[in-house]
Amino acid sequence: MKRLRALNHKAHLIEQAATDGHREEVQLMSSVVGCTTTFDPGWEVDAFGGLASLCQPMEADLYGCTDPCWWPAQLADSLNTARDWTDGKNSALRDWRELQTLFPGD
Amino acid sequence: MKAETTRHTRRRLRTAGAVALALGMVGVMPAVAAQDPGRDVIDKKCASCHLEDGKLTRIPEIRKSPEGWDMTVVRMGIWHKVELSAEERRAVVKYLADRQGLAPAEAAPFRFLTERRPNMQDTPPDDEMAQMCGRCHSYGRVALQRRDEAEWRKLMHTHLGQFPSAEYSALGRDRNWWEIARDKMPGRLAEMYPKNTDAWRNWSGAKHKPADGRWIVAGERPGWGAYTGTMTATAKGKDRYEVSYELHFGPGNTVRGKGESLVYTGYEWRGTAQLGNEHTQSIFALSEDGARMSGRWFLRKSEEIGATFEAVRADKAAKNVPVAITPHMLRAGETATVTVAGAGLDAKLDFGPGVEVVEWLGKSAEQLKLRVKVAADAAPGLRKVAVGGRESDRTVAVYRQIDSVRVEPAFGVARVGGGTNPPVTAQFDAVAFLNGADGQPGTDDDVRLGSVPATWSTEPFDERAKHEEDLKFAGHIEPHGQFLPSFAGPNPARRGLNNVGNLSVVATVADGGRSLNGKGQLVVTVQRWNPTPLR
Repeated sequence: MKRLRALNHKAHLIEQAATDGHREEVQLMSSVVGCTTTFDPGWEVDAFGGLASLCQPMEADLYGCTDPCWWPAQLADSLNTARDWTDGKNSALRDWRELQTLFPGD
Repeated sequence: MKAETTRHTRRRLRTAGAVALALGMVGVMPAVAAQDPGRDVIDKKCASCHLEDGKLTRIPEIRKSPEGWDMTVVRMGIWHKVELSAEERRAVVKYLADRQGLAPAEAAPFRFLTERRPNMQDTPPDDEMAQMCGRCHSYGRVALQRRDEAEWRKLMHTHLGQFPSAEYSALGRDRNWWEIARDKMPGRLAEMYPKNTDAWRNWSGAKHKPADGRWIVAGERPGWGAYTGTMTATAKGKDRYEVSYELHFGPGNTVRGKGESLVYTGYEWRGTAQLGNEHTQSIFALSEDGARMSGRWFLRKSEEIGATFEAVRADKAAKNVPVAITPHMLRAGETATVTVAGAGLDAKLDFGPGVEVVEWLGKSAEQLKLRVKVAADAAPGLRKVAVGGRESDRTVAVYRQIDSVRVEPAFGVARVGGGTNPPVTAQFDAVAFLNGADGQPGTDDDVRLGSVPATWSTEPFDERAKHEEDLKFAGHIEPHGQFLPSFAGPNPARRGLNNVGNLSVVATVADGGRSLNGKGQLVVTVQRWNPTPLR
């Protein structure tokens, strides 16, 4: 962490956790691509019929789901089905309104 | 010379005939007679990939519902850039669903999925089917297809190629997923859902009654209540109809409208209509004898908002066929005005012991209106009503008091809306029950009385929902039990959350001087971007 400087809230939390002796957890968390691909919490409802285990907010990990084709029944998967789905919409947090639904009307 | 020329010509003609016959089977030669436009699409668009040694591949080996075929055709557009006009899309789906559809009995167990009923949970036959198929999409999506083993196996390859995460996501990576998918599932699926069945052979070989004519209809729209009315279908070409509706939801609330419909596979009615100021879509099924129709209609842009639909054909053959008796609940010791809607009705009704007809208010073949007096000691419970001296399948429920109230659905889902995704609301109903023989509420022998008016409220479902203030952010419930979710997108006021929420939905029902509560769960969750007809 010597050469890295925390800029946002989450980074500060990671830095703090490392300082507090939670280095192992920090390493685990920082080694994954996305929340969903690690924890498989469900898309709309978690395994307990609630929301508490889902990635929150969804938009923070939306592209972490679409890129590795994680919820292809619910989302566009940019691995095969809709490779250009996120083109020009680089931030899911900012650009989610522009994302198009996949199935065309009749 | 002439004889030789003739011989050569004959040989050429024979050869040409054989080629035409062979190609005619696969349809790449234009037929002499006008060809079905759906067949044209197959020949001109599908065959460019799906043709091998003069035979169509894949396509002839599958049977599906109209929605299943539509999803296939759309997928070909998304994956392989097949360009079809809206007209070509409709034509090829019609062609395939008619010739390679599902028999009514094959589609029946999953009509709730076809009809897009909200908040339904399908039940795979076992854990393996649930985990291999139903963990990503509904199990019904599988069960509404028919293939032989080799073709089911090709579907497994398609899944691995297109959606490789199936192998390494949860419930995939903990087993030899590909070996199970390739070696075990095709055989199991072919046994359960084979391509060739007696049901399909019989249905596809039979003539089916067209849908034109006058129908007496009834249903219930959660949040609005029960309705009765008429539907008239006028034939406008093969399997096409112009349709007019008149639906009576209650005094002063009559909805009229017009639309059109197309019948697939001899029984799958798909229509659109403007009902009052609402654009609606209908998904009905004709009964095998063509005398009845049932299904659901809903708003085109909000599929979760809709109504059940039942219809009986009002023709000369109809004799004492009720479609609805309203109200369904009759309280012991009181009098009530009852309406029976149906076809060929005789003014002769028997509600069973303790329920007496005291006055006729209207008598016609399509509607009977009367006053009944329910004795104070009339036996509570459901009773079938005899119409014209014949027991019908319609019931009324006699009760002294409501024993319990349940919120339906017990577990509902709403979705926040925004961008290209409209919000998905959740409509709840308060349903009254009797305890049944065991005297206990919430058991299997409870007697369902029907929907009752309620006052609606929401509460945090658990401590976490309370802590996150879900009640404040997720949306609000309307007086008629419809939950309107909040807007989509991260909410800066919620510390890293969007407007999702986990709520309890509470119905409070007044019954005489008593007050009863029922409670359900509502998850207000995120949008989805793949709104396929079969989810």
